[in-house]
Amino acid sequence: MTIDMSVEIGGLKLRGPVLAASGTFGYGTEVPLLERRALGAMVSKGIFLRPRAGTPPPRIVETPSGMLNAIGLQGPGVEGLIRDYAPQWAQWDFPVLVNINGETAAEYGELAARLDGVAGVAGFEINISCPNVEQGGLYFGNDPRAAAAVTDAVRKRTDLPVWVKLTPMVTDVGVIARACEAAGADALSAINTFVGMSIDLTTRQPRLSFRTGGLSGPAIRPLAVHLAHQAARAVSIPVIGIGGIMRADDALEFLVAGCAAVQVGTATFVSPNAIAQVHDGIAAYLASHGFESLSDLPRYLPRD
Amino acid sequence: MFLVEAPLVARREVARGMFVLSLDAPQIAQSVRAGQFVNLGWSPGPLLRRPFSVYRTEGDRIEVILKAVGGGTEQLLAMTARDTISCLGPLGHGFELSPGPRSVALVSGGLGVAPMPLAAREARAAGMGVTWVHGARSVDELCSEADGDQQIWATDDGSRGFAGTAVAAVPDADLVLACGPNRMLAAVAMRWPDAQVAVETYMGCGTGVCLGCAVPLARGGYDRACKEGPVYRAADVEWSMLPVHLPYAISS
Repeated sequence: MTIDMSVEIGGLKLRGPVLAASGTFGYGTEVPLLERRALGAMVSKGIFLRPRAGTPPPRIVETPSGMLNAIGLQGPGVEGLIRDYAPQWAQWDFPVLVNINGETAAEYGELAARLDGVAGVAGFEINISCPNVEQGGLYFGNDPRAAAAVTDAVRKRTDLPVWVKLTPMVTDVGVIARACEAAGADALSAINTFVGMSIDLTTRQPRLSFRTGGLSGPAIRPLAVHLAHQAARAVSIPVIGIGGIMRADDALEFLVAGCAAVQVGTATFVSPNAIAQVHDGIAAYLASHGFESLSDLPRYLPRD
Repeated sequence: MFLVEAPLVARREVARGMFVLSLDAPQIAQSVRAGQFVNLGWSPGPLLRRPFSVYRTEGDRIEVILKAVGGGTEQLLAMTARDTISCLGPLGHGFELSPGPRSVALVSGGLGVAPMPLAAREARAAGMGVTWVHGARSVDELCSEADGDQQIWATDDGSRGFAGTAVAAVPDADLVLACGPNRMLAAVAMRWPDAQVAVETYMGCGTGVCLGCAVPLARGGYDRACKEGPVYRAADVEWSMLPVHLPYAISS
């Protein structure tokens, strides 16, 4: 029996629920061993308007069941992306969303306007885990008004799907989720990395040159499942679960917890074909439990 | 690039605490070039794979060289024959050894010996005379396996060969290849700007997507040790920005 794994996320029809997470798949041109038939969509490495060099090394360090990274959003800027990558994306049989970043709400809007209509760009994922220079460096994602302002700035400049990637570094993720939904988001990605720190006892300095980094991997999975579940209960738009998914059972936890789809990130570093393995494992679970499609999977979303 | 479940077939000790593991990985053995590496994963192992230069190949086998520097490498050294190790490779951009130079000095410090046997083989095939220069803190830490038409040993404590660094012991050569601690490679860069050096960095994916293994460049910006590297023209690297205190790298 063939399982219908297709899913629709805010107007975007995907052939499967397993997506490549931003920053773990580059621009999609360098993961040669992946069986791409299984890839539902790809979210590009985060991009700013202008090119960025990134942070000095060390940029990554492994921690128990996880890794910290501080890459600094190294990238070619929007013009480099349009020139070098979008033309390739336009040939692919899965959609590519661009993860967009900025220092002001207006910059996010400008990025969306520049990319809107570029062949190969199917939508946007807004990274709101950036410091807002107009608010003393307060992260957009920590403040419902700033998160809504960024979402609104992008929404006004494009008719393509707009997803917002939530940060876990908040008191109540539901408040931010609702603010983004009200400002016009089509879907939410939950959750970004947790801010962490690790100290080298030889040098008595932080292991990362940037001092702190984003924690990903299995270490954050239960935290991420909880936050994705909270977000899913707070809104009526789809939520895409992210956080330490290494195998199909992990993805199924997010799906049952109320997510419409998932993104796989760190696992791709360990196993280049992780996305296909997760996809196939979900299909096998559905088949062995008597479901004919992903949409038949019961979700645990109590209303009380 | 191949992903292979490679059985461990042999292990030998080549210096105090320094071991060579032989793995059965035919596709990789037949395609790897000097200076390239494999990214190894094992069970239980750490979360991320660990990069190792390919030390030698023999038929369908590849060899890597390591010391126990932490829990992960201790697990690798505790494995027994027929245990399997997941091998992703060959990865990265290795040494450029086209015919031209008449002589090459292969300069290594400690585990920096890792890429040198393959380099010796390719250099010889390109018609070069090979001088092998290997250094360590003391005689018992020198890798006992050497190659080359001429061999020079260097120890910090003078317990074998030249008393001092491997870099200070290098004779005249048309081409210099080096691998070892970043501090040593910075010294190489001062003396031979055109030397080819294999740098050590932390790595995430090994395939070019995570940008975790950034190598600072003298002209500004960064590129990736796993893709454009790990071999660089010595003067192209901004050595002052590369950490010198990495507990390990291409060999842990």
